Amino acid sequence: MAGQKIKYTKTERARQKKILKVSLRMLPLFEAMEKSLMSTINTIAERIEEIRQEIDKNNKAAEPWVAVMSDSHVDIKSFISVNKVITKHIDVAGVRVDQYEGVDFNVKPIEDDTPLWVDDAIELMQVQLQLMAEIECLEEQIRLLEEELLDVRARIKLFENRRIPNAKTAIRKIGQKLQDDERLTIATAKVVKTSQKEGVMV
Amino acid sequence: MSSLPSLSFGQVPPITMEEFTQDAKSQLSAKHFKKLEPVDIYKATDSEGKVGLKSISVMLNEMQNDISEIRAAKTQKRTPGLQRLPQAIINANPLEREKLIMRWQWEELDTILAGEMFTLTDVMVYKLRLQILNRLNSFDKEQGKQVLASVVNPPKKEEV
Repeated sequence: MAGQKIKYTKTERARQKKILKVSLRMLPLFEAMEKSLMSTINTIAERIEEIRQEIDKNNKAAEPWVAVMSDSHVDIKSFISVNKVITKHIDVAGVRVDQYEGVDFNVKPIEDDTPLWVDDAIELMQVQLQLMAEIECLEEQIRLLEEELLDVRARIKLFENRRIPNAKTAIRKIGQKLQDDERLTIATAKVVKTSQKEGVMV
Repeated sequence: MSSLPSLSFGQVPPITMEEFTQDAKSQLSAKHFKKLEPVDIYKATDSEGKVGLKSISVMLNEMQNDISEIRAAKTQKRTPGLQRLPQAIINANPLEREKLIMRWQWEELDTILAGEMFTLTDVMVYKLRLQILNRLNSFDKEQGKQVLASVVNPPKKEEV
């Protein structure tokens, strides 16, 4: 409001009242949106934590035999790679995000003379890679939701700190000015009337 | 053969494969060395289909048949019927399974070696055992973890 010139008119007062009415109606909606976004982000963060625990559990289960993966005879890295992470667009708390669907792997065919442990390693790696891909999708969801949350918070701040107080101040000031003007008009009219009466008498 | 250090299952290889190959090249005749070259614990035949030693080839083929049976049984969700490999490998974890298979190979080589002292077969078996020890010695928990991590969680390429 600072520096902004107020038009002291009835039209402007009506406009400011409209702004105040809309702002007071929008504020709870943005507050609800903020709550919803925060709750969704927390739920996603919890899911990420669950997946991390699952990854740790799988790593621990593989610990007794993980040494075999350094087998000088086999380059396990050449057996498996991620071709594509499959996702689908969904709306979460009003934000369009990618939801994890699955992973398409490139898996080298296992020959008869391939050591047996390779089968187990590929199985484990597929599971872990799927979980990691899900985490990446969820982290991206959080990033997008946090962006939206910042935007919503900025709007709430705008309504709480500027639009609503400014509209209220403008309405009050315009009201006072209009009242003053009215009083002045009445007083002037009275003076004119009195002067006219005195003129007639003389 | 008498100049080569003795080998026992599970020990750290006392010589490298390169040292063995150099030694064999200098000690064996060209004909014998040529026969030694295709001998490989991982392959019943070389790329040209040559068999180093028939008994070794038979052992490796039988082992591969059992491995194929384990794979087929897993797909069909049934208990595998093993012909040659020890039954203990069915329920062992992948590391123990490889060790049991290598132990079985080592013992099979004992049978192949019976009565073959100071012959080319003796040298062939020595090469195979050295391969087994090298492989066995490559199993390392920390390195294995690193290999797993490099596949599952590879370092992210920095965006330019």
